[in-house]
Amino acid sequence: MTEPRDEELSRIYRDAEGPRPAQRVDDNILAASQRVAGARPRPAGVRFARRWGTPFALAATVVVTFTLTLMVFERESGLDKMAPAATRADRPAKVLQAEPKRAGQPEMESPAVLQPIQPAPPVPQVAAQRDRVQQRPGESAAASKPPGTGQFAPAPEAPRAPEALRRSEGAAPAPAAPASDSQSAPELRQQTPQAPAAAPAAGALSESAAALQGASVAALAANRLAVPEAKERTPEKWLEDIRKLKTEGKATEAERELAEFRKRHPEYRLPEDLR
Amino acid sequence: MLRYGKGDARAFELLYRRHRLPLYRFLLRQVGNAATAEELFQDLWMRVVNSRRSYEVRAKFTSWVYAIAHNRLMDFYRASGRASFLSHEESESVLEGLPAGEIAADLRLDRKRAVERLLAALAGLPDAQREAFLLQQESELSIEEIAAATGVSGETAKSRLRYAVAKLRASLRKES
Repeated sequence: MTEPRDEELSRIYRDAEGPRPAQRVDDNILAASQRVAGARPRPAGVRFARRWGTPFALAATVVVTFTLTLMVFERESGLDKMAPAATRADRPAKVLQAEPKRAGQPEMESPAVLQPIQPAPPVPQVAAQRDRVQQRPGESAAASKPPGTGQFAPAPEAPRAPEALRRSEGAAPAPAAPASDSQSAPELRQQTPQAPAAAPAAGALSESAAALQGASVAALAANRLAVPEAKERTPEKWLEDIRKLKTEGKATEAERELAEFRKRHPEYRLPEDLR
Repeated sequence: MLRYGKGDARAFELLYRRHRLPLYRFLLRQVGNAATAEELFQDLWMRVVNSRRSYEVRAKFTSWVYAIAHNRLMDFYRASGRASFLSHEESESVLEGLPAGEIAADLRLDRKRAVERLLAALAGLPDAQREAFLLQQESELSIEEIAAATGVSGETAKSRLRYAVAKLRASLRKES
């Protein structure tokens, strides 16, 4: 079934001016075709990523930015708090922070390594008073005050101090209480064994550590004042004074001093010349 | 169209560039109004776009797209109350009554006048006959393809085309 074209009519028809669709129609159609051509069905994961990728990225950015800002802010405020504390108690803080390193060093002048040579001699006056407050030598170190309380608590090793003094002073009996810096520092360390670990922690901990360090400094000062007094009242010195009084003919005073001495040190074995 | 169905937007653009003017002219000559023609034209191409995945090669793309155009025109005629397209079929007697002969000699020389005459006569044709003529001129489809695109038998399509041509030639001769 063929119907020949009327070529003459076709030529006249083709001569007609060809109308064209508007440009916007062309643009609309082509844009729509390209849009849907790019929107081919994708795996569920890709669709999910496309749908939620941008919101998730925005949320993650906000969270990370907020966290970083918070960290920077906390760090800055923490440095502000730490700085005055470090200035206030500079030396004790150093002692406290250096404690873990020194703990294993043999050259550390720790009373714990000194061997007692004699039975513990009687301690005079100030040292004796302090001994009443502190623990007895035989008691366990665990029974001492809890560390980090901020109060000065003499270490259990305190009665061994006279041995150290005797060694340093040439075998002379020195029952004075431990008062030197080298002895008190280990005591401080023993009081605050957790301070070095707590120091890098939050600001509150650092503040309490600083308070503890301040209290330790005060205790050190008190010890320094007590040292000469305690040394003056050693039994040997006292007996020496009594001998002097005897030599000078002050027998009454010598007797009174001796009686006083016996009262104070009833267990002390008197030399032959003073019996 | 298959390439476009696989996501090749460039393939669609090629199809569009090739068929846009004939299709637009076909629609414009049928409805006689540029705005309506553009609306139908855009709607037609959007149907093509949306059919990209369901498209199957059963015939030439040209037959398929003109079939869409025909269906879209039918919808438009129905919506606008033009029922003549479906009911108007002429008998052979009408065809026999048309004067035969050559196109007037002056019109052969004056192409512009001839074009105006032809377009005026085309606009006066019944919708089905005009459609058959336009499909032959614009799409260069065969009678069978015109019949398939318009959903009629081959004989009906051939008859419509014969009437259209006879009337157009008569209009060109008569005026001379």
